[in-house]
Formats: sequence, C-alpha cells, structure tokens
Amino acid sequence: MSGATDAEAPIAVVGIGNVLLGDDGFGPSVIELLRAGWRLPEAVELIDAGTPSLDLAGYLHGRAVAILIDAVAATGAPGELRLYRGDELRRLPPKPRMSPHEPAVQEALWIVELSGSGPRKVLLVGVIPQSIEPHPGLSPAVRASAAAAAELVVRELARCGAAPTPRRNPRMADAWWMREQRFG
Amino acid sequence: MARITIDPITRIEGHLRIDAVVDGGKVQKAWASCSMWRGIETMLRGRDPREAWFFTQRFCGVCTTVHAIASVRAVEDSLGMEIPLNAQYIRNLILIAHALHDHIVHFYHLSALDFVDVTTIPNADPAKAAEIAQSLSDWPGNSKQEMARVQAKIVALVGSGQLGIFANGYWGHPAMKLPPEVNLLAVAHYLQALEYQRKANQIVAILGAKTPHIQNLAVGGVMNGINLNSQATLNMDRLYMMKDLFDEVIAFVQQVYFPDACAIAGFYPEWFGYGAGVKNYLAVPDLPTDTASTTFDLPGGTIFDGNLAGVRPITSSRDDYFRKGVVEDVTHGWYQGKGAQHPWQGETVPNYTDFQDDGKYSWVKAPRFEGKPMQVGPLASILVGYALGHELTRKWADRALERVAAVAQRPIPLDGLHSTMGRYAARAIRAALLSDLAERHWKLLVTNITKGDSSVFNPPQFPKGTIQGVGFHEAPRGTLSHWVVVKDGVIDNYQAVVPSTWNASPRDEGGVSGPYEASLVGNPVANAEHPLELLRTVHSFDPCLACACHTLDVEGRTIATVKVL
Repeated sequence: MSGATDAEAPIAVVGIGNVLLGDDGFGPSVIELLRAGWRLPEAVELIDAGTPSLDLAGYLHGRAVAILIDAVAATGAPGELRLYRGDELRRLPPKPRMSPHEPAVQEALWIVELSGSGPRKVLLVGVIPQSIEPHPGLSPAVRASAAAAAELVVRELARCGAAPTPRRNPRMADAWWMREQRFG
Repeated sequence: MARITIDPITRIEGHLRIDAVVDGGKVQKAWASCSMWRGIETMLRGRDPREAWFFTQRFCGVCTTVHAIASVRAVEDSLGMEIPLNAQYIRNLILIAHALHDHIVHFYHLSALDFVDVTTIPNADPAKAAEIAQSLSDWPGNSKQEMARVQAKIVALVGSGQLGIFANGYWGHPAMKLPPEVNLLAVAHYLQALEYQRKANQIVAILGAKTPHIQNLAVGGVMNGINLNSQATLNMDRLYMMKDLFDEVIAFVQQVYFPDACAIAGFYPEWFGYGAGVKNYLAVPDLPTDTASTTFDLPGGTIFDGNLAGVRPITSSRDDYFRKGVVEDVTHGWYQGKGAQHPWQGETVPNYTDFQDDGKYSWVKAPRFEGKPMQVGPLASILVGYALGHELTRKWADRALERVAAVAQRPIPLDGLHSTMGRYAARAIRAALLSDLAERHWKLLVTNITKGDSSVFNPPQFPKGTIQGVGFHEAPRGTLSHWVVVKDGVIDNYQAVVPSTWNASPRDEGGVSGPYEASLVGNPVANAEHPLELLRTVHSFDPCLACACHTLDVEGRTIATVKVL
C-alpha cells in the first residue's frame, strides 16, 4: 500500500501536475519511470500527487526529505530541467488566494515548517513545459527530459543514503495517460 | 464608486476572477468569471466507459475521488446495474473520509484566516485562551502549555519579519473581530488540523490503495478483495486500522472543528445577515444503502426562494425530476451558441471573446435547474435535510445554532443560515453528521462481511446501440453530476456538471446571476483596496476552479491581485 500510511517513509518523492494537461503531467510521469526502472529502499515513498494544492502539506508532514517534481514557469527552452532548494522556494513572494485551491507548493512548505513537522531538506526538480493544453501525454522535448529527471532524483536519493538500485528487468511504466486504451 | 477586480491570473494558470462595483461601502453589481477552459471532457469521447473514471479523477487535484465515484456511477446508471453491498459501503466510507478531510482543510487552512487575525496573538494570554478552549470542549489539545507553545511560535514568526503562510492576510482590518485569545486557540487548532486531515486521508489510502488517486474502483463495484484472514486483502486488521483512524478524526471533528466553527461564527453574528444570494438550493441523495441505489443515508432535494416548507425530494439518480431538470446555458460563457442544453446533448465548442460585462465573460457554463440558478454545497444539503426532517441533520444543525447563539448572546434563527456565515456553519454541521455516519457505515460493512458476504463486483455488459446515464454525488462542494452517452460500448458524449459550476455560474439568457454573483451584491466593503469582506463571501462557497492545472511559478512573477478602477 502506498499513499499515506501510519509509519511514514522518511523520504518522499512527490510528482506534481495534471496528466491530462500535456507537459503539466511531467511530475507523475517521472514517478512512473522511477517505479518502473528502480527498486527503492523502504525509506523512500513515491507519490503521484496530481494537483493537490494545499493538500500537499499532508504529504510533506513528518518527512525528513522531500523531493518534488513539477513543471515550472521559468524562462528557458521547453524541456530544460531546473533545480531549486527549499530556501529558494520558501522565499518566493506570497500570492493572493482567490480560490482556496490554487497551486500551493510554497504555502504547503510554510505550513509544515510552522507546525514543526516539515522536511529538513526540500528539493524541487522542475521542467519548463512546452504545452499544457488539455491532452494526455508529454511533448517530445519534455518527454526527452523525463529520464534525466529520474536519474537526477536517483542521485539525490543516493546522497541521502537511500540509493535506489536499477531493476534487472525494468517494468512497463504504468503511465496509462500515455496509452490509447486501458482495456483490451 | 469603485470597480474592484480580484484577478490572480498568471500567464498559464486558470483562476476565478471576481469583479464588483462598490458604491456607498456596498457591492452593487458583481461578476464571477473563470479564466480557464475546462475542455477535458472532450478527451473522453471514443474511450471505453470502464476507464472514464481514471481520467475524470484527474479533472481536479483536490476533488479526485469524487470525480471517480460520479463517473462509475454514471456508467452503472446507463446500464441500469446494481452493485454489491460491500462495494456501496466501501465507496461510502471513502466518500465520508474524503469529505471530512476536505471540510477540515477548508475551515482551518483555506478560510479561517479570513476571520482570524494572527498578528494579535502575541498579545494573547495563553491561560485565558486555554480556559476559553476548555469551555468549548474537553479536547486534550487545549492545555495552557499548548497555547503558550503555539504563541511562542507565532511571536518568533512575527519577530522574524517573514510571515510565511500568514504573509497574505488582511491583518488589522476593521472587519477582524476576534479577541487575541480566540485567535490563538484557532491557530493552535489550525496546526493540529494538519495531523487529522492526514489521518482522514490515510483511511482513503487503506481502502483506495493510493491517495490522492484511488485505484480500487470499477464500473460494477470495487476491486478490494475481501478475506478476513488474508494479509493481502481487506482483512480484520485493516478494518480495525481504519476504525482507529476514524475514531481519531471523528473526535477532532466533534470536539475541535465543530465547536470552533460555532464559536467563531458567534463572534461574527453580523455575517448571518450578508451573502444569502441565490436562495434556491439543490442537493442530491447520497450514501446508498442498497444494491440498486434507491435508499440513502443522506437525503436530497430542492428548495426554491428559501421556502423550506416547499422542499421537493430527489429520490435517486433514476428520478426524472433530476434527470430532466438540469440544463447548461452558454449565453454568457465563452462557448458557441446561446441558450441552454441538457448535458446529454451538451456541446463544448469554445468561442473566446474577452471579458464583456454584458456579453460573454467566463469559461464556466451556467447550469440551471428547471430554469433557475441553484446554490449547491453543504448549506443546500443541510437545508434540504432539515426541511425533509432528516434526524441527524436536525440534531447537528440545532446544536450548532444553540452554540452560536450562546457566544453571540442573541438567537440565530434557522433562516440566518441563508448567508455567508451560514455556509461556514453548514459545512461544520455536515462534517459532524458525516462523522456519525462514518461509524454507522463502518459497522454496516463489518456486519455484512462477517455474515459471509465477500462479493465486491458485478461485471458490466455493454449492449449494442445507445444508452445514457447520470451518476451523482453530494461532494464536499455540493452536487456533482456526470452525464454519459455510450454508443456500442464506447463513450459518445461526456459532461461533468461540477459544484463550482453551479455556484460560480455566470448570468443566463435571462440575465439572472449565479450564486457567487448574487451573494456579493449588498456585501459590505470597508476598504476597496482590502476587500476582505468579498473574500469571506467567496471563500464561504469553498470555490474550486483552478485545480485542473498546476505549474509552479518559480520566478515570482507579479500577479495582479486587487485592482481598484
């Protein structure tokens, strides 16, 4: 069973984004790549969080390390990867909240920090999207960066003392949003 | 006269935008607009109806499970099929756990800070805060030490000049009225709530295999193997793990959330007088208790013009009153055409024009029931339940009104619920009654399993030809319905009429405003530069529009917050 369990794994790798909106599905796609290609130590939990807004706080609560994977609005070419450390994210200027369900990475980090249950180490692996139009699947430029992002996460996990091992027989990535039909 | 535009539009995200014309300290006219196109339904055409729920679950990142459930219900309805009792109970427990999670988060993390002024906390007396908290309930997290600990955190935060999560509040606003001690206890519970919303989510994970995207559904039932003695299935261990978690969440709802919501409402009794807006209400029955989904633990129905005596029940998804009553009007939406269509015939052909006050101004369609705009959400569900004599609704609603009156030191009649604060109170009432129903449905499931029933799934059979169905769910934000047309076993049309579409509806062909718009008219605004009061009313609906898309803006691009023209 994955998702929230009582004995939380100390390291969470969280893919964020909507898989129905093109390159916004980058985070969940990288999570599936990691699941398919690597055997992970008990200390690591992979989470396809979708677009959780403030609910993200619940997935960060009680962790020692959080690695987030997300599409980012940054200047650069589609597919470029960017790395951000926790402090950079927390220092972003606050945004007004109109709908209570807007994206909330920094807010979630602030909340868990204030409650004293936040991760000591936070890393965000971002990709610059090409298209976030309603359509399942990644653009070629962004898809080409997914494997590199997975490798990057693997290296970070090794640095945290939780090195994944490559699977001898990699599984098919369960990225159903990339397929025509789930059945038949 | 001033025109306020609250518009957190960024380059690539879709958001709710509110425009209001303010004169004499009051809103005279208002518009609600959504800046993102929800064209996701069109993606479902041509797909297998058994996989639709995988896609619909991704419509919204916060309301994942609700779109999954509504989808399988819609396809089951099109087939006229029954599902096993265990499947109903398992789904119901997921829905209850999700709703409790959602209501707790809405109250504490998403909207409490509209009423709670964090910056007064350094002046609070922690002993007095503990005393007030203990007078409200015997929750163990209300000690003086706990209050002092939280106060120290806030003092450090305010002292650091980096307010973090609190940087955005309208601190010191004249509409903030809580004593420092109540602000302190509210923030103490804000931090505790994090733990309990997480526990509610753990229940969803036990049953759904994962959160936020559950994996255990199927058209025809659920995929949870039941074997009380097997480690790999839903066994006694897991059932009791779930019970323990429910007990903790129920205690938090009944001893913390419910009393807090009532107390805070009692400090702001004037807010029972603002924000009524559309007094037509729609709620659907939910938590089915039989295999054919004809009996329910939560009643549904309609109320028009605030007339509770005229309540009309909706008996099930087969009820033509509901099936035929719903249309969507695109006159003021950025879609081709004019007038209204039934969701089974609904089309989604975009036609963007720019924001036109008297023309098209939103990506939201205008749903109408028998031609009328309807307010949906916990308030609708509570009023319909109350009007129909639903015992649990009456128990918790009466209790809430008594508690509010005790703090406000004046009676709050049931009619006061037609208001901004009524929506906050109704959400707490609903959480409390759902927490009672959590226990009941856990027992129903365990009793049924111990009787020897381990059935969870009936295989669906798709006929040749065209069939159509509707699946509904009384979701945390209100009535959600998915409408599906299946042709030769393949999806031909799919429309989701979501709660925030009802509430954020633009005007219709007759120029009649939707609930957000109507509720803002007459709303006070002390300072147009800091329209806290507008946010209170909009937040009272718990709007959920933008979550289908998420891209983090790491360059902190400036965002137009509030423009006063």
